[in-house]
Amino acid sequence: MLGDVRPPRNLSELFSGFLAIGARSFGGVMPWAYRVMVEERRWISAADFTETVGLCQFLPGPNIGNTSVVLGKRWFGWRGSIVGFCGLVAVPFVWVLGLAAFYADYATIPLVRAIVIGVGAAGAGLFIGTALKLGRPLARNPGAWVVAMGCFLAVAVGRVSLLAVVPVAAAVAFFLAWRKWL
Amino acid sequence: MLFDLALYFGLLSLISVGGIPSVLPEMQRYVVDVRQWATAADFMQMFAIGQAAPGPNVLIAGLIGWKVAGLAGAFVALGAICGPAALVAYWVAGVWERMKDSPWRAVAQRAMAPMVVGLIFSGGFVLATPGNVPDWRLWLIAVASAVALLATRLNPIWLLAAGGLAGGFLL
Repeated sequence: MLGDVRPPRNLSELFSGFLAIGARSFGGVMPWAYRVMVEERRWISAADFTETVGLCQFLPGPNIGNTSVVLGKRWFGWRGSIVGFCGLVAVPFVWVLGLAAFYADYATIPLVRAIVIGVGAAGAGLFIGTALKLGRPLARNPGAWVVAMGCFLAVAVGRVSLLAVVPVAAAVAFFLAWRKWL
Repeated sequence: MLFDLALYFGLLSLISVGGIPSVLPEMQRYVVDVRQWATAADFMQMFAIGQAAPGPNVLIAGLIGWKVAGLAGAFVALGAICGPAALVAYWVAGVWERMKDSPWRAVAQRAMAPMVVGLIFSGGFVLATPGNVPDWRLWLIAVASAVALLATRLNPIWLLAAGGLAGGFLL
């Protein structure tokens, strides 16, 4: 199986691979990252992908963005990190600004605004769904509930600033994990 | 203004555990309430555009930057929201490998996982409740979208489209 893996041979290949991921990632980057890196280009194995993304998931910053940095570093050092990341966001960046410019012309039409707000609400729902998906394996873990609920109460109900919540939650969570209560 | 943008987004970058969903409410608070660089409606729209476009959600930062300070703002904002976290990831990646057999690695994983869940959930919740007053219509769309994500294998882009359609009818 290891013999099947063919990491990118140079920075160009790295760039074009991530460019492809970014350009095709309508609806979510993760599935496309998997498709391009594991299935199409065979840069890494599925297990490696899962582990790397898993690590990146709990680091600050965008998940797949961090993955591009981590994998870029693995293959080509700091240059790889930069090239990988830039490849990932290049096309989306242009798309997003283009879409915004196009939309600006129609923004004042009430129906258009209503549609866009609906899209935003659906997007919020996707976040909620994603959180629940990620939380499923933790459902039977009382310590996990304590930390997750604590974060929710502080952020969503108490509207406490994240600058306070994240360090405190991290300290509590690390303590619980260290004591094996998590 | 560019400096403020860079500084604030850079700070957010470091606490964005769980990615952009976690920090979006805070970003909204700062951009709309504190600095008044955009209205709440503007912000929601930028969020929607960021979602509808390909690529990571973090690109909304580019949109905010563009609104605040043009193209330069877009680059600065995106760089600032990704940069510090990327540096952390870069550093951790090396350490992580070396710590392969250390119990601390497992502790870290166990600790961060529920935080990520709690923060992303909260992010979605707050975004579905703009202005602190629950609007049943937005909630309906959000819950339907969440359920569809969990229960089906539909590409999320269709869920966003459905949300848009529902928005057109309900709102």
